[in-house]
Amino acid sequence: MSTANIELTSVTRTFGRNRAVDGVSLDAGPGVLGLLGPNGAGKTSLLRMLATVLPPTSGQIRLLDRDPGHTTERRDIRRRLGYLPQNLGYYPAFTVVEFIEYFALLKEVPPRRVPQAVAAAVERVDLGAKARSRLRTLSGGMLRRVGIAQAIVNDPQLLLLDEPTAGLDPEQRVGFRALLRALGETATVVVSTHLVEDVGAACSEVALMDTGHIVFRGTPAELIAAGEGHEVGDAPLERGYSAVLQAARNGSVAA
Amino acid sequence: MSDFDREVDLSRVWTSVAGEVWRRHPGPVERLAARLLRSPGLARALLTTPSLLLPWLISTAVIFLAGGLISVNGAEPLVWLLAPGIAAIGIAYSYGPGIDPAWELACSMPVSDRMVLLVRAVAVFTVNAVLGLAISGLCYLALSHFVAMAAAITFAWLIPMTAISTLTLAVAVTTRSANIGAAAGISAWACVVIASWTTTGAFAAAVTNAMNYLPYLAVAICATVVLGYATRTQRGAL
Amino acid sequence: MNDDELITRLAGGDDRALRELFSRHAPVLAVRLRAVLPPSDVEDVLQETFLAVWKGAGSYRPEAKAGGWLWGIARRQAALLLRRRGPAAAPLPDLLTQNDPAESVVSQASLASAVATLSPAEHEVWQLMYVQDRPLAEVAELTGVPEGTVKSRAHRARRLLRAALGGIQ
Repeated sequence: MSTANIELTSVTRTFGRNRAVDGVSLDAGPGVLGLLGPNGAGKTSLLRMLATVLPPTSGQIRLLDRDPGHTTERRDIRRRLGYLPQNLGYYPAFTVVEFIEYFALLKEVPPRRVPQAVAAAVERVDLGAKARSRLRTLSGGMLRRVGIAQAIVNDPQLLLLDEPTAGLDPEQRVGFRALLRALGETATVVVSTHLVEDVGAACSEVALMDTGHIVFRGTPAELIAAGEGHEVGDAPLERGYSAVLQAARNGSVAA
Repeated sequence: MSDFDREVDLSRVWTSVAGEVWRRHPGPVERLAARLLRSPGLARALLTTPSLLLPWLISTAVIFLAGGLISVNGAEPLVWLLAPGIAAIGIAYSYGPGIDPAWELACSMPVSDRMVLLVRAVAVFTVNAVLGLAISGLCYLALSHFVAMAAAITFAWLIPMTAISTLTLAVAVTTRSANIGAAAGISAWACVVIASWTTTGAFAAAVTNAMNYLPYLAVAICATVVLGYATRTQRGAL
Repeated sequence: MNDDELITRLAGGDDRALRELFSRHAPVLAVRLRAVLPPSDVEDVLQETFLAVWKGAGSYRPEAKAGGWLWGIARRQAALLLRRRGPAAAPLPDLLTQNDPAESVVSQASLASAVATLSPAEHEVWQLMYVQDRPLAEVAELTGVPEGTVKSRAHRARRLLRAALGGIQ
């Protein structure tokens, strides 16, 4: 009986000869974990494995104290999972509530609870005024918020967000970070992003990935500390980020 | 005492009101499907199949009807020729990575994408089969006095239809493109029909020649195996 | 957009108009209901009120004032709620008969002074049964007296309150 919602042990994922994720071990309990890293670092592949969409090539994954390799356990995990892929397609003719309701049903939210769950999700992402608008009439930022709403509609214990703030204006991003903090009180939220400031404001922990490895794991304050004296970067977190990356690439890898 | 002292939660009130105001009421077909399939999500996924929507169904019925009416001039009804092709297109555009923009998300759902694909494909096939059989059967009844109509023409096209449908679906899923799947299905059928004509002189030999049935079934089985592999449930470690 | 336009729109099926109407009027209605009902009841009544508004907006006449119209619906929903609870809660609808916001302020003050005229025992029963909405058996257990005694104290309290408030209609 563990409290960790995520337990990865030496997880590797290869595509042909490319090692997208290389021997990653990771444990995470409730809270918001920010996943930082340059493009191609393996963040999306890692997130896809956490979302049970992609199997690992080797290694052990345990999610919500269950094994995603077994069909019934995988279904259990998926019922309590929320996932926002980097490119979420939309059904243009659906309305906001129809789209969210569709995935609430596919997530096996009990039908009696669906209308309330959908309404709550819509209001949480501040789309109440657009509830019955068709998706083709919405802007990119609004569509992203619809994506976030479908991810939270089943009150997930494990929430995986891949670049959730893409297309959101600064004010919306502030609101979104508040939402993340609230969600992180009971659930494990993993946010993959390349926006360092998103991480600083909302995340209780940060993991930095580069070429398939995790090169840093700690609090945002520790990441800032790692950047002391480093010159590259306009903000403390950015300096920490580039300091750690540089150190990793120069061969001294921090666990 | 604690309930007495707290503030009235207006956002909770609004959520309850909005839930009622915004809710969608599923129709009787969907409710029946939900009971039969024992899954409201699967029923909703089934009824939103692109190639089961009303405009599509109407077009299919019209095409079959046209094929059937050709027989009025004394020629054989063309349902046998049209059905496999139409079913192939319908199935290619029913589900899968080629047609579903939210495919990645669908793969993370407890109601598995494989179940949705299966249910939709079977539904599309059945609808096309029923439509085809209805038109074909009517022609048989109407014309059997005047024209000697082989039972094969009337019903046997179900066999190549199965083969072409499974082939189309397998190609559509593995290539992640509904268009390529549909093209593959149509071309395969066209090749078979032309080959039949080349070898036996009759186009309809594609369905009437009983020697073809076994190859058709073999194709259907192979395609199903490929489909099973292409949509395999993910293992923890491969 | 004024209230009349909002109500016309929502009668035509515009849920955004309902949302706007809710944000404008629900807080006021909540305060007025809170004077006589515990929070969970207030929430239930407000929910039923706005659902009734959504379904029945066609019956609104623009000459009426939206605030008063809404309060009327809220009162009816509150009465329905209390009636569902049973006869013990019957007195409260009397206190919800005011249409005018000014009057309800007065009645809140007079309610407070009327309650002050109750004896400690009657006051206790009043608090537990009508404000906290506990069932008879629980009140009897909490106060340590037989149910019959609770019932007669409740009856006396209702009579005294009705008398004290009777002057203001």
